[in-house]
Amino acid sequence: MTTVETYAKLANNPRASRGLIGGAPAVRAEDEVKRKYRREPGFPVPILIAPATLWLVIFLFLPLLSIFIFSFWKATGHGMVPAFSFEHYRAFFVSEGFFDPKNADFLTPSVFIRTLWTTFRFTITVMAICLLLAYPLAYFLSMQVEDFKWQLALFLLAMVPFWTSYLIRAVAWLPMLGRHGLINEFLINIGAIDEPVSFFLYSEFSYTMALVQLYVVLAVGPIFFSLAKIDRTLIEAARDMGATPFQIFREIILPLSLPGIAIGMIFVFVMVMGEFATAVVVYGGKTSTTGTVILNYYVIANYPFAAVNAIMLMLAMMIGVGVILRVVDIRKEL
Amino acid sequence: MAYDSPGNIRQGMWSRRSFMKSTAAGVAATAVTGGGLLRQAAADTGLRSIGLGVSEINEIQGQATKDLGFPVAGQAMGYGEMFSKMLNQNDQYEIAEGYYNDMRVMAPAKVWQPLEIKKLKDWDKVTNLTKIGKLTPESSEGQGDAPFKLMWCDASGTIVKGPSDYIIMCPGWHNADSLGYNPKATGRPIESWGELLSKDFKGRVALINVPQIGVMDAALAVEALGLKKFADKGNMTKAEIDFLVDYLIPLKKAGHFRAFWENFGQSVNLMVNGEVALESMWSPAVAAIQAESVPCVYAFPKEGMRGWHGGLAISAKVKGKQLDQAYEYINWWLGGWAGAFVARQGYYHSIPENAKKYLSAEEWDYWYDGKPAAKDLSDPFGTVIIKKGDVRSGGSYWNRYSKINVWNSIMQENDYLVKRWTEFLTA
Repeated sequence: MTTVETYAKLANNPRASRGLIGGAPAVRAEDEVKRKYRREPGFPVPILIAPATLWLVIFLFLPLLSIFIFSFWKATGHGMVPAFSFEHYRAFFVSEGFFDPKNADFLTPSVFIRTLWTTFRFTITVMAICLLLAYPLAYFLSMQVEDFKWQLALFLLAMVPFWTSYLIRAVAWLPMLGRHGLINEFLINIGAIDEPVSFFLYSEFSYTMALVQLYVVLAVGPIFFSLAKIDRTLIEAARDMGATPFQIFREIILPLSLPGIAIGMIFVFVMVMGEFATAVVVYGGKTSTTGTVILNYYVIANYPFAAVNAIMLMLAMMIGVGVILRVVDIRKEL
Repeated sequence: MAYDSPGNIRQGMWSRRSFMKSTAAGVAATAVTGGGLLRQAAADTGLRSIGLGVSEINEIQGQATKDLGFPVAGQAMGYGEMFSKMLNQNDQYEIAEGYYNDMRVMAPAKVWQPLEIKKLKDWDKVTNLTKIGKLTPESSEGQGDAPFKLMWCDASGTIVKGPSDYIIMCPGWHNADSLGYNPKATGRPIESWGELLSKDFKGRVALINVPQIGVMDAALAVEALGLKKFADKGNMTKAEIDFLVDYLIPLKKAGHFRAFWENFGQSVNLMVNGEVALESMWSPAVAAIQAESVPCVYAFPKEGMRGWHGGLAISAKVKGKQLDQAYEYINWWLGGWAGAFVARQGYYHSIPENAKKYLSAEEWDYWYDGKPAAKDLSDPFGTVIIKKGDVRSGGSYWNRYSKINVWNSIMQENDYLVKRWTEFLTA
């Protein structure tokens, strides 16, 4: 641990800052005990958490449980009947000819795994671009803009895309990127191209771009707040001690903003993994996400198989969120 | 989103003006019928009808309410939403304005009750298209789920080879789909489904992204190119599906398809924005595209068109007074007012002579008889969509329906089809 980092940690943790100039006074042992077991006067805890618990149990936990149960049922072609069968899980994982050496592509995973993988791959790309865009933006807002009023105003401005509906934000790309869209018209007018370029729309390019535009704000918010929380005196102290701007960033700002990054990335990750509508609008439906697979099987009344896909998507999301939380221990950092 | 844009599917409410108008009407109708629904809960009278935007239009159910003297509340939904509600919540509606291609799912589920033919007033006038599968004696039946194969049932609602005294769904509106194209962009008239896969239009083609229907359009194209003969495109074998998808995947990878559209509005935009030269299309889209000053022609492929047929069914839960009202509503539909209404969007009615009563002579000549329009004609909402002198592609109703190549269907290998379609899209 470098010196600067140690100071940063200490300064952020009042209980550990015993004896440091400017730090909080040391906490006495009995106060510590009191702090742990203190009860606020007012409503008892059970009453406070009852509405949310009830809501979550009825509208989240029970439906999830039923999805899990239905995934073992049998599809009849027009509904499902109770059963305990793994056939739909088998159909998800095992494609015909898988691991059969006689089959030409015997090592190719089933199409549903591949779809989940594609979904995941896209999500990672979108997360990376979101981070690259959101971090400098949040940094500018919190560190460069001094006046709080301006900070708030600019932050709200960054949220402008969220003021309109999701669909409008996605559809708005069409007149921009299309074969007769603004970009193509512009390029033709300045003589850069003779024929309109198809590449801008209904492509991986437009899909990634639209997803980034739709969800980048979800990353800006948390990063902005975690950056704004950083105590400026730390940075000043580091500067006084001769740290270079890069050192300050690497050893103070970045570590202290990690929780914001993690929360922002979790938001983006969960949203993009569950995507199915944007691909239709800006990618011309030229890809499948696990979301579309769920929809397609739901529509043909094969509910158990849709349930299996939903569970796999949920598992993938949980693993992803788990990995992010492993990299950044939010509880400790906050 | 794809499936949840109610009213967009196969609906002609595309222009801003008519959209505003119908929205305003919708708000008013909701206010009226909403009250009606509340009253209904108390009095156990009146009907709730669900379906697509093709037949669930405020004007239609509003007229029925006026003519019949009890409230009929219509709800237009997206296809998937409608399908699920019909199948899983038959206590939430009295009338299902459904489609024969879903019958293989709906009939065994017994969510609808058999209709007694003797209670259908104008049954004798219903054409032979649904009764025996041939509109005219020379017509071909077409592959797939032709209505006559799935309409007749016994008193318990089990499908039988007709005719019998019962049907599951009363035939109503229908049409035949094919390709729409921009003649300026294609540079030649499109006369075959095979053009969908022609190298000349690489990157300028769109296909409908409903696996069950998109695969049939592709099969029609592959068959037209002479690459394979399908025994029944409405019920393909696994090997046939494999052949088709394996043929399509390299094409997709090479960038042959510009997009796969999921709703009516998307198909219109693709052509209006110049993204595609030709695509799978529903016929009201042609007028919508022309309204944006983009030339568009609806092809009448020499192989024949892909047909679909809608109708009215009664939920198995309906009984007593509401059952009588449900029959009254169905008889009102057969009466022709609604048939004439949807005719102005290009759909046909199962009793043409009844629709004729409510159409002007010019309208009848254009929409049914295939004659050049004697004057400008409007859609049901008053927007002029047909210019004087226009001729309907494929000609008269009887000509168009003499040659249905295949009907919209649900295949026995539906699960496998959806799986391979997913693979096609992921490729």
